[in-house]
Amino acid sequence: MWKLTIKNLKARKLRLAMTALAVVLGVGFVAGTFVLTDTMNSAFDNLFSDVNDGLDVIVRAESEFESQLGGSRQPIPESLIETVRQVDGVQAAAGNIQGYAQFVTKDGEAVTTGGAPTLGGAWYDEPKGSLVIRDGKAPVGPDQVMVDAATADAHDFKVGDRITVITQVAPRTFEVSGIAGFGEVDSLGGATLATFDLPTSQEVFNKPGVVDSIDVAAESGVSVDELRTRIRRVLPDGVEAADAQAVAAEIADTIKEALGFFNIALLVFAGISLFVGAFLIFNTFSITVAQRTREFALLRALGASGRQVTGAVFLEAIVIGIIASAVGIAAGFGIALVLQVLLGAFGIDLPSDGLVFLPRTGIVAAALGIVVTLVSAIAPARRAAKISPMAAMRETAPKPPRFSPRRTIAGLVVTLIGVGVLFGGLFGDFGEPAQLVGAGAFITFMGVAVLTPLFAGPLANLVGLPMQVMRMPGKLARRNAARNPKRTAATAAALMIGLALVALVTIMGSSIKASTNKVLDESLEADFTVATGGFAPSFISPQVAVDIAALPEVSVVAPLRLGQFRREDKNSFFVVGTNPATLDEVTDLDVVEGSLRSLGDNELLLYRQTADDLGIGLGDTFGMQFASTGTEKLKVVGLFENKSLVQTDYVISLSTYEANFPEKVDFQVFVKVKDGVSTAVARKSIEAVMESYPSLNLENQAETKEKQADQVNQLLSLVTAMLGLALVIALFGITNTLALSVFERTRELGLLRAVGMSRRQTRRMVRWEAVIISIIGAVLGLGIGVFFGWALVKSLESEGISELTIPYLQLLGYVGAAGLAGVVAALFPARRAAKLNVLEAISTE
Amino acid sequence: MSLISNRPGAPASSAQDLLSRAAVVAVDLVKIYGEGEAAVRALDGVSLVVPKGTFTAIMGPSGSGKSTLLQCLAALDDLTSGKVFIGGAEISSLEEKDRTRLRRDKVGFIFQAFNLIPTLDAMENITLPMNLARTSPDKKWLDYLIQTVGLKDRLHHLPGELSGGQQQRVAAARALASRPEIVFADEPTGNLDSRRGQELLQFLRRTVDEFNQTIVMVTHDPFAASHADRVIFLADGRVVEEMVDPKADQILDLIKTLES
Ligand SMILES: Nc1ncnc2c1ncn2[C@@H]1O[C@H](COP(=O)(O)OP(=O)(O)OP(=O)(O)O)[C@@H](O)[C@H]1O
Ligand SMILES: [Mg+2]
Repeated sequence: MWKLTIKNLKARKLRLAMTALAVVLGVGFVAGTFVLTDTMNSAFDNLFSDVNDGLDVIVRAESEFESQLGGSRQPIPESLIETVRQVDGVQAAAGNIQGYAQFVTKDGEAVTTGGAPTLGGAWYDEPKGSLVIRDGKAPVGPDQVMVDAATADAHDFKVGDRITVITQVAPRTFEVSGIAGFGEVDSLGGATLATFDLPTSQEVFNKPGVVDSIDVAAESGVSVDELRTRIRRVLPDGVEAADAQAVAAEIADTIKEALGFFNIALLVFAGISLFVGAFLIFNTFSITVAQRTREFALLRALGASGRQVTGAVFLEAIVIGIIASAVGIAAGFGIALVLQVLLGAFGIDLPSDGLVFLPRTGIVAAALGIVVTLVSAIAPARRAAKISPMAAMRETAPKPPRFSPRRTIAGLVVTLIGVGVLFGGLFGDFGEPAQLVGAGAFITFMGVAVLTPLFAGPLANLVGLPMQVMRMPGKLARRNAARNPKRTAATAAALMIGLALVALVTIMGSSIKASTNKVLDESLEADFTVATGGFAPSFISPQVAVDIAALPEVSVVAPLRLGQFRREDKNSFFVVGTNPATLDEVTDLDVVEGSLRSLGDNELLLYRQTADDLGIGLGDTFGMQFASTGTEKLKVVGLFENKSLVQTDYVISLSTYEANFPEKVDFQVFVKVKDGVSTAVARKSIEAVMESYPSLNLENQAETKEKQADQVNQLLSLVTAMLGLALVIALFGITNTLALSVFERTRELGLLRAVGMSRRQTRRMVRWEAVIISIIGAVLGLGIGVFFGWALVKSLESEGISELTIPYLQLLGYVGAAGLAGVVAALFPARRAAKLNVLEAISTE
Repeated sequence: MSLISNRPGAPASSAQDLLSRAAVVAVDLVKIYGEGEAAVRALDGVSLVVPKGTFTAIMGPSGSGKSTLLQCLAALDDLTSGKVFIGGAEISSLEEKDRTRLRRDKVGFIFQAFNLIPTLDAMENITLPMNLARTSPDKKWLDYLIQTVGLKDRLHHLPGELSGGQQQRVAAARALASRPEIVFADEPTGNLDSRRGQELLQFLRRTVDEFNQTIVMVTHDPFAASHADRVIFLADGRVVEEMVDPKADQILDLIKTLES
């Protein structure tokens, strides 16, 4: 049988290539995703393992947990630096401060990153850290700043230039004293870095008399642990002496954790591609085995057992699986690069120094490829073995599809289970919702795929109806699409999955946009919002709110601050700190019990649903653990139902916020203009105040809507682009099926050509068949997508997505696009069909 | 013995006259498959004239070039050298596009088997060439054809639901439906039992007698060949013998002499 397998593989190059390519694509995307995420992680590891090079111990305040927002530790007194220096075995010690600092270009634009932080810090000569001066000198005095090499390069900052740096205090101009890099590296993962001397840092980061940490180098011969013990003896309570390398690893971990979501998202996309790819592989196997029915029958007639035939098919699957997986893994490198470029196009710049290939990538990708291939081969192999020799030798005419009760019941049951699991995840209160939703969607797709062959025939006839206008080629295309419902169904199913997901995100996106618009219309009474552009976290100097409030044209200013805390169940959440009185004047949080205005020190306004879930009500206390101050008991004084504006479930007063968070920056400021003052006039005055903060934008409601719509759209296009690969695989599936069908119908094509079908008409016939299959896939996919979208939006109603909008026109556009894509998918098979040599085709068995 | 049959009508007087009165004229056809050592001269200088309204049978041993000749005459294949005229126009130098049109409009073809498109029903198969040409069929002629081949109650069946004989009759109807200049048939009765074969042959004969159709048919069966007006014998790619108004036993005798 082995010999036969090899012979078979050789004899059917085209079909083989088609099957293998299906596996290659699926495996390639999984491998590519792994390579990309590993590359990213290792780049971060490398960056941050170097960041504390030269340092041994870091003295800093203890913290309950690491906040993703940073700045979770209280500062420590500056006087400790001297204390630490005196410790025996300390070679050098220097104070460090970190904070927000954003460069302004020579054109007056704020320098932005693709999401990486814009940092500032204190420079010290000793100990020697990883930051080294490449050009110029260290910053000295209140007038000097040192710029990281990447920023200097990108914005043409030179030693001696005067540039503006925005900090949480105020924008200020500095002279560039020098340019620094991290060893060979120009920047830390795309972050910008401004360094000042220590006194200047204390000033611009608003930390007089204190430092965030003390960086220490040991004398040679003193171990890190020994030094830590010695330093600890002189430290006050609440201050720790940490291992510098452990801190570096901690930083890398925090960043990787923040990126973990991103890794998962990438793997989800890889999974989708593999799932779609599985349909392709399965379909290809089914077709090729069906085409070889006669061959198998002949073998059976010559005495091969059913088991031997199954074995041969299986062996073939293994050979294809192994070889194609190997190629797929290699292709993964290319796909990783493509993904990197794709993400870069959306402003997500990932650090990378050479692609990283872990053994895990090879093992998982190859295992997936081989298993999927084998599973795909099981059914066709068993079918091949069951064929009675005589039945196979007979001319096989297309049989009208029969109604199969077994398939109907199986399909319905699977679909219902899928929908049930999906609903359980969306609306239920058990298990991991995200995983349930994913599994539910997966099972639903499977169920629908089982059902599709039942109505693929009639559907093909229906979709193909308008194609009758194309006369004979259209008619034949329609019949061809309907003649083998299982094949058409499996081919369309791949596209169905891709399009369902695209429809889902489209509906999600438009619903989010409609919902935020509604919220802005109904519950925001402010005339303007001050915010930073883009995705990067906002840093607004509190001075901005103060300055605007001082304007005669302005009546109310409500700043919002953001912080992270842990609940008693150890889950982290965001909390908003605000001025309750002014926020109450510009927003309607829909407070159903108590009031926002009366929110005082150590009191909390809680989202109604969360309060219900936690079983607490007005007057109860709620424990909040803050990174720098530990656990505080807050009294619940109000419950609100509209959280779309504050975007958290927890609202505290500004004074409570300041008591528990060291940061002093706003992330959003709402502004209301005095009655009788025109907004245009007010805008001029406000913008004059904000002029020196180029990182900030003043938006009226329409602009806010537009910005949010832009952000949603950008995210949508990214997701759609990622789903694009699944769509490409699905389209490739159409190409594959058609190419194999053309092969199978060689004789018939020859006959058509012999009785006068032109090459053009032949191409048209194949093309229209592809269009019919595409449209079936699109229609089914959109149906499921709309259903999923409806369910998802409904389940997120409590999260503020109250409006379900289905952009019918856009979805209809997708159907058209799918049809067009079908035309593209048909290019190759159509050409093949048209090029067939009539005589040879006729004489094909 | 002249290659040009004297039936019906007198011998042609001039070349032009001949071309216009003949359905097909073939001049010195040579077809070589392959190259060098492996080259096969499937046709080795075949010339023949098929007058309009005649039924010609082509016979000869297996591998003698019968199918090749038919395919070259029907513009299904290229010639190595030589010329073919159909209805007075040369077709051997046509582009693929024009050949397609020729096959669609001027020529009908019946193969030994697999003549029908499985997704089209009998009626659709019959009108297929006209549909491809976007011309409408002659309704009366179509009715007559369907009547004669006896398929009235089978018109909306798919080929898979028809017997082999019925399928061949549908194929014959298709070949004749557009009233082509000439119909080529390659062993059309090869897969049929004698009764079904007989029915098909009688049908072909009637179209010649009643409608002046021209037919060229390859066959191995002397009884089938006896329905023709004349039989042309091929051997090793050459015309070796010709018989007018053949009877089955005469053909058998001739084959025996040719073989010895
Ligand atoms: N495509 C081809 N390539 C090479 N040689 C060919 C090809 N087709 C036919 N031949 C050769 O040309 C010769 C004539 O073949 P052809 O099919 O015309 O014979 P035939 O008279 O129709 O035979 P049969 O009665 O068996 O159908 C044979 O020797 C055959 O082997
Ligand atoms: Mg032959």
